[in-house]
Amino acid sequence: MADVAEATEQTRVSTTEKPHEIPDSWQPNVLAFACHYCAFAAADLAGVMRLSYPPNVKIIRLPCTGKLDHIHVLRAFERGIDGVFVAG
Amino acid sequence: MIVGQQKPFDEIWEMVKGFKKVLVFGCNTCVAICHAGGGKEAEILTSLLRMKAAQEGIDMQVDNAAIERHCEPEFFEPLMEKVRTYDLVLSTACGVGVNFLSDRIGAIPVYPGINTTFYGAVPEAGFFVELCGGCGNCVLHLTGGICPIVRCSKSLMNGPCGGTNNGKCEVSNETDCAWFLIVERMKKLGTLEKLFEVQPPRDWSTGTHGGPRRISVEHIRAFEEEEEKNAATEGR
Repeated sequence: MADVAEATEQTRVSTTEKPHEIPDSWQPNVLAFACHYCAFAAADLAGVMRLSYPPNVKIIRLPCTGKLDHIHVLRAFERGIDGVFVAG
Repeated sequence: MIVGQQKPFDEIWEMVKGFKKVLVFGCNTCVAICHAGGGKEAEILTSLLRMKAAQEGIDMQVDNAAIERHCEPEFFEPLMEKVRTYDLVLSTACGVGVNFLSDRIGAIPVYPGINTTFYGAVPEAGFFVELCGGCGNCVLHLTGGICPIVRCSKSLMNGPCGGTNNGKCEVSNETDCAWFLIVERMKKLGTLEKLFEVQPPRDWSTGTHGGPRRISVEHIRAFEEEEEKNAATEGR
């Protein structure tokens, strides 16, 4: 029976951001989750066209925004991301 | 299935904030279906607790885990050693799971993360309705398959009260009058005359009023005992 009993566990990988002083030069860290087939392609095209966007936006490519899970957004906030942008 | 609802976050935080190492322990059966306490909900709650602890400046380790069922001992086996390393288990299983784990875990508190609410069904995604009260003395054969114990706000056994209002209950106009449903259903089944039989006052001792209930299936227990004996003999 023990082999039937499946268990899932999440090992502790989190490095939760601690509260700290906000410097004057603060810029929000934004994480963009982009769908491979549309938003990511658009970002790629923007790059090809030499258009620039602020360096505090980091893009994560998803096979589809349907892949995005609650926990991906929450982990981003946990680690100190200030805003999450989902595009697809 | 058993239906529950996650407790308000502030209430959960008040329960857990004094502990250093907390495990949020989900159950992937009933409470996962009702989006209250499955592995996914446990993971989300864990993340929220970590962020709250960071905001409050409290040093706290919060992890999460989940097993398929919290109501049978076999499912705990792969994880029990790890579970015992925590200061607190915040179980998002139903009340059965909280009790069952409390009985087995030793001197570690197990707190409830959800409010276990009723036995219900899922007529549509995200919507749960109570359909059985687990009263221990089923009368559904007399009432067209509609339970007067739990679907009638007053648990009436012999027809509707004066509060029935165009098929709705006086308690809430979102609640159907169970006796209206019963009469309509029995008309359809052609068994309306069954309702002329007066039901005597019920013996509620088969429900929760009779103390904790137990069911022992003797032939299964005898078989298991026999199997154990055989295994022991073969082992010798």
